[in-house]
Amino acid sequence: MIEYDYKKPESLEEVFGLLKEYGPRAALIAGGTDVMVNIRNTKKAPEVLISLRGLKDLRYIKKNNGYHIGALTTHRMLELSELVKTELSALYDGASCIGSVQVRNVATIGGNICNAAPSADTAGPLLVLDARVVLEGPEGRRSVPIYEFFTGTYKTVRKQDEVLVEFQIPAEMEHFGSAYWKYSRRKAMNLPILGVSVSLKLDNETISDARIGLTVAAPTPVRAYKAEEFLKERQLTDDVLKEAGKIAASPDCCSPRDSLRGEAWYRREIIEVYVARMARIAAENIKNR
Amino acid sequence: MSDHLFVGKSIPRTIEADKVTGKAVYIDDMKRPGMLYGKILYSRYAHARIKSIDTSRAKKLAGVRAVLTGRDIPDARVGFLKDQTVLKKDVVRQFRDEVAAVAAISPEIAAEAVDLIEVEYEELPAVFDPFEAMKEEAPLVHEVDARGRPVKSNMLPLPWKFEAGDIEQGRKDSAFVVTDNVSTTWVNQCCMGTSGCIAEFDTSNNLTLYNQTNVIFGHIGRITEYFSQIGLKGKKIRVVNAIVGGSFGTKLDTDIYEFISIQLALKTRKPVKILFDREEEFQALPPRQPAVFTIEQGCDRDGRLTFRKCEAILDNGAYTSWGATTPSVMIMPMSSLYRVPNVFFKATCVYTNNIYCQAMRGYGNPQATFAVETSMDTLAEAAGIDPLEFRMINRNHPGDETPMRLKITSCGFEECINAVKEKLKWDEKKGKQKGRGLGMASLIHVAGGARVTRSDGHGMVVKVDEYGHVDVIESGTDQGQGSPTVITQIVAEALGVRPEDVFLTFGDTALALWDAGTHASRHTFMAGNAAVRACAKAKKQILDMAVEHMAKIIKGGFKRKKRKDPDFVEPDLDYGLIADPENLDIRDRMVFPKKDPDHPYFRIPVSQVLREGLLGSGESKVVVAEAFYDPPTEMLDREFKGNLSQTYAFGASGVEVEVDEKTGEVKILNLVAAHDVGKAMNPTLLLGQIYGAAYTGVGYGLTEEIKVVNGRVMNPSFRDYQMLTAMDVVPIEPVIVEPMDEDGPYGAKGVGEPGLVPTAPAIANAVYDAIGVRITDLPITPEKVLAALKEKG
Repeated sequence: MIEYDYKKPESLEEVFGLLKEYGPRAALIAGGTDVMVNIRNTKKAPEVLISLRGLKDLRYIKKNNGYHIGALTTHRMLELSELVKTELSALYDGASCIGSVQVRNVATIGGNICNAAPSADTAGPLLVLDARVVLEGPEGRRSVPIYEFFTGTYKTVRKQDEVLVEFQIPAEMEHFGSAYWKYSRRKAMNLPILGVSVSLKLDNETISDARIGLTVAAPTPVRAYKAEEFLKERQLTDDVLKEAGKIAASPDCCSPRDSLRGEAWYRREIIEVYVARMARIAAENIKNR
Repeated sequence: MSDHLFVGKSIPRTIEADKVTGKAVYIDDMKRPGMLYGKILYSRYAHARIKSIDTSRAKKLAGVRAVLTGRDIPDARVGFLKDQTVLKKDVVRQFRDEVAAVAAISPEIAAEAVDLIEVEYEELPAVFDPFEAMKEEAPLVHEVDARGRPVKSNMLPLPWKFEAGDIEQGRKDSAFVVTDNVSTTWVNQCCMGTSGCIAEFDTSNNLTLYNQTNVIFGHIGRITEYFSQIGLKGKKIRVVNAIVGGSFGTKLDTDIYEFISIQLALKTRKPVKILFDREEEFQALPPRQPAVFTIEQGCDRDGRLTFRKCEAILDNGAYTSWGATTPSVMIMPMSSLYRVPNVFFKATCVYTNNIYCQAMRGYGNPQATFAVETSMDTLAEAAGIDPLEFRMINRNHPGDETPMRLKITSCGFEECINAVKEKLKWDEKKGKQKGRGLGMASLIHVAGGARVTRSDGHGMVVKVDEYGHVDVIESGTDQGQGSPTVITQIVAEALGVRPEDVFLTFGDTALALWDAGTHASRHTFMAGNAAVRACAKAKKQILDMAVEHMAKIIKGGFKRKKRKDPDFVEPDLDYGLIADPENLDIRDRMVFPKKDPDHPYFRIPVSQVLREGLLGSGESKVVVAEAFYDPPTEMLDREFKGNLSQTYAFGASGVEVEVDEKTGEVKILNLVAAHDVGKAMNPTLLLGQIYGAAYTGVGYGLTEEIKVVNGRVMNPSFRDYQMLTAMDVVPIEPVIVEPMDEDGPYGAKGVGEPGLVPTAPAIANAVYDAIGVRITDLPITPEKVLAALKEKG
C-alpha cells in the first residue's frame, strides 16, 4: 500500500519548518494533478506531502507595476480572469486548455511550472511574457527569469527548502500581444504534442520586439531566440513570419524527438506553421485590447 | 399502427435515473460476505520461457490468502481454439500472459503481493508482424496445437474462404478494374466500466459468477467445459450480471481473468473479485481485430459491379478469441454490400506475439467496409462516375438475394443514399477540392438476429400481479444500450399497461430463459418479438379472467350503489359484450369491449380484474407467460452461405471535411448519418445509438489507435489513447429511414452497431475529395495526411 503523511500548514513559515524537519523525505503538493498521478504511476510516495492549499493568500492575479500572479492561482482562475484574457492572452490560452474544467479547478500555475514537464501548458506563455519566478525560502526571497528556471526535464533551480510564491510579468508586456497554440489530437484531457507561444510588439506594421516559446520541442520549454532576432525590425508579412517559423523549427532553436505522441519531423512542421499563425493572432490581440 | 401509446414515443429512459444518481450496482460496487480480491501478474516478455517462479515472499505477506501459478492448477485449455491455459506454466507468448495470481483481503495487499512474485524468464525470439510470421523461418508462436500435435506454421487452421460466381468471368465483363491495399489497427472498446467478476462457490462446489457479460448463457457453456476438465463436472453454474458498464463486444467471450477468479475462489473457498484497472483494461482486454486487405473490384461501362476479390491478413496475436472469427462477419459486406455477382474473399489469421483480439461493435464489419468503400471510391473514379451515383447504381434492393444467400426484405438503402446527397448538398459541393471535401460510405449489417449458434432464440417470461404490475424476466443484459426502456415500451403497449407498471429483471441464468446473447444488434428485435408473443399470451390470460369476473365485479358495484342509494336502478346491460375474450381488449390499464371502448360500465381497471382473478375464487390463479422467439433463419453452411438474419440494416454516412494542408489536420464540418431502422421504437434513444456509434466511428477514423510496439501496449491510458471527448463532438445530422420491417416487433430492426461501420471510410473518402490524397491506413492522422501531401508534391 502506498502510504504517506499529509500536512496542511497555514503559513509559509510553517512550510519552511516542515521542509526543514523532513528534508528530502517531504514533497510539496498544491493542486495534486501531477503529484498524485506520479504517486499512482510509480507506486512510490514521499514520506510526507506538504500541502500548500492552506496558503490562501497565494491565490491572486494583480496588475500593479507589472502583473503579479500568486503561485497557487488555479488555471480556472486564470481562464476566468478578464485581465489575463485581454492583456496576457497567451497565458489565457495555455491555462484554459489544460485537462478539463475539473482539473483546472484544482491545478495551480505554480505546480505546472514546478513540475517542469517539457509539455507544461503555461510554460511557453510565461516564457514569451518574460515572467520572473519568485522563490521564497527561510533566508528570504529571490527571483529568477523563467528561462533560467528550468534546468532539465522535471528539473528546476528551486532549492529543496524553497517555495515558488509568485510570477511577475513586467509592465512593458502591456504593449505586447501574445498567443499560445496547444497542438493536440483532441480538445480536452490531453497533453500537447507541441506548444507554440508568440508575443510581439508592433510599431505600425513593424515588429519592434518578439518572443517565441516552444514546448515539447526540447528537454525543457525553450525560447527560439534566433527566430525572435530575425523578426525584430521586420515587417509583419507572411513571408517574414514564414521565415521565422522555419528558423524556429530548425536545430538552432529546438530539438524535438520522436515519441509516442508525435514524430520529430512532424513537430518541426507544426512549429514552422504555427509560429507564423500565432504571430498573426498575437498581432490581432494587440488590436483587440 | 399510428395509435400506439408508447411504442415509437421518446419516453425517458427508465432505470437510468438509478445510474446517474449512483444507486445502480455495477460490478465495482458489488461486495459479497468474506470476499477476497484477486490480482494478476502478467508477463514481462512478449515471448519467453518461464524458468522459475518464486511466490514465497508474496505468500508471506500479511493478508494474502492464496498465490497461484500454472503449477498449482490443472492444465486445462480454454479459448475458442483451446490454445491457452488459464495461468501460463512454461512459456509466455505475449505481454498480457497471466503468469500468477493472488487473492488477498484487500486490493492493495493483492497488488503488493503480485509485485513480490519473482519470475525468472529466458527470452525467446518473437514475431510481431503477421507478414513476417507467415514466413517459413519465423519463430513459431505455438510449437504444438491444442491436442499436442506439432505445428508447422503460424497460420491458423481456420476456413475463412468465400466464393460465389466466377471471378474470371467478372474480370472479363469489366471495363474498369482497381486494386487497393487498406489496413486498420487495434482499437479499444473503452467501456466506462472496466472488466470484473466475482466467483463464489457453495459448499457443494456449485458456482455463482457475478460478472459483466452480454452473453450470460454462453458463459455457462464455456465454464461447464472448463469444469469438466478440472474435476467439477456436473456442477451447477449460475451467471448473474450486475448492470454492465458498457460492453461493445468486450464481454462476449469468457476471459482469462474470469477463470482465474474461479481458481482463486476454489482455492480459498471464499468469493473472489477481480476488477481491472484502466491500464489492465488497455493491456489485458482483447481489443478490435486489426486487418490488412488487398481488394480488387471491377465494373462495366454502366458502372455495374462485376466482381469483388479480397484477401485479408489478420494479426491474430498469441491466442485465439473471437477476433479470429471476425472474417465470418466480414463476408457479409464483402459479398452483400451492393449488388455484386462474383465474389471471392479469403482471410488468413496469423499468430504473432502481439495482443490478441475479440469482438467490438460491428465485429469485423467496420474493417471490411473500410476496404469495400475505399475500393468503391477508387473504382467510381476510374469509371468516371460520381461516387454517390456509383453507389446508387449498385445499391441493394428489397427482395434481393445476395451471393451469400442473404434475403433482403425491408431495405431503405436508396432513401439513405438520397438523404446523404440532399443533406450534404452533394451535387453542389462535391469535387471542388481546395481543402474541403465530401465523402460517403454505406453499410449492411444483420438487424434481425444472427444465427451464429444453433439457436438464435430469446426467451422471455412475463408475470402480472394483482396490482397490475408486470415483472419481465429478461434473458438479455442491460449494457447501457437503452433496452430496458424499449422493452418496457413494447411490454406496456402489448399488454395494455403503462411503462411505469413494467419492471425488468436482467441477466440471471437461474431465472431467465435461454438467450443467444445481447449482441449482433439483436436485442430489440429478438427480445421485442419475444415480448410481443409473451404479452399476447399473458393478455389472453387476463382477458379470460375478465370474462370470468367482470360481470361479477360490475354487478357487485351496482349492489353497493343500491345499498347506499335505494333509489338506484341497475341498468339493463348486454353482458354478451364481455362474455368472450376475443371481444375484449386492454389498453392504458383499462379493460373494455372492443366494440364499445368507452362503454359507461364495461370499462374497468385491469387491476380490479387481476385482484379478483388472482386473489378471489375461480379457476385462473396466475398470469404468467413465456415466449421463446427463434427466427426462421439459417446457420451459415460450409461455404459461409445462408440467411443468418431475419432482416438486414442499411445505412449511409456522408461527411464534409476541411483539411489543413499545412498540418494535415482533418476537421469534420458535417456528418450525415442516414439509417434504415425499420421503425424507431424510441426516437431519442435511437438517436443516442446513432450519435454514439458515429462518434466512435470518427475516433476509429481519425484518432484512436492502440500503439503496440514489439508486442507491448505503449498507451494504456486515456491520456495517451486518443478517444474523443465530449469537447470533440462534431455536428451530426441523423436521418431515420423507417420502411417498417414486417418481421420486427412493431416494425423495428436492430441498430446498435451500424452507425459506426461507414463513418471511417466516409471520412477517408472526404479527405480524398478535399486534397486528392487517399489515406488507406486507419486512423487518418495528421502525420499520414501531411506525409502523403508531401509525397504528392
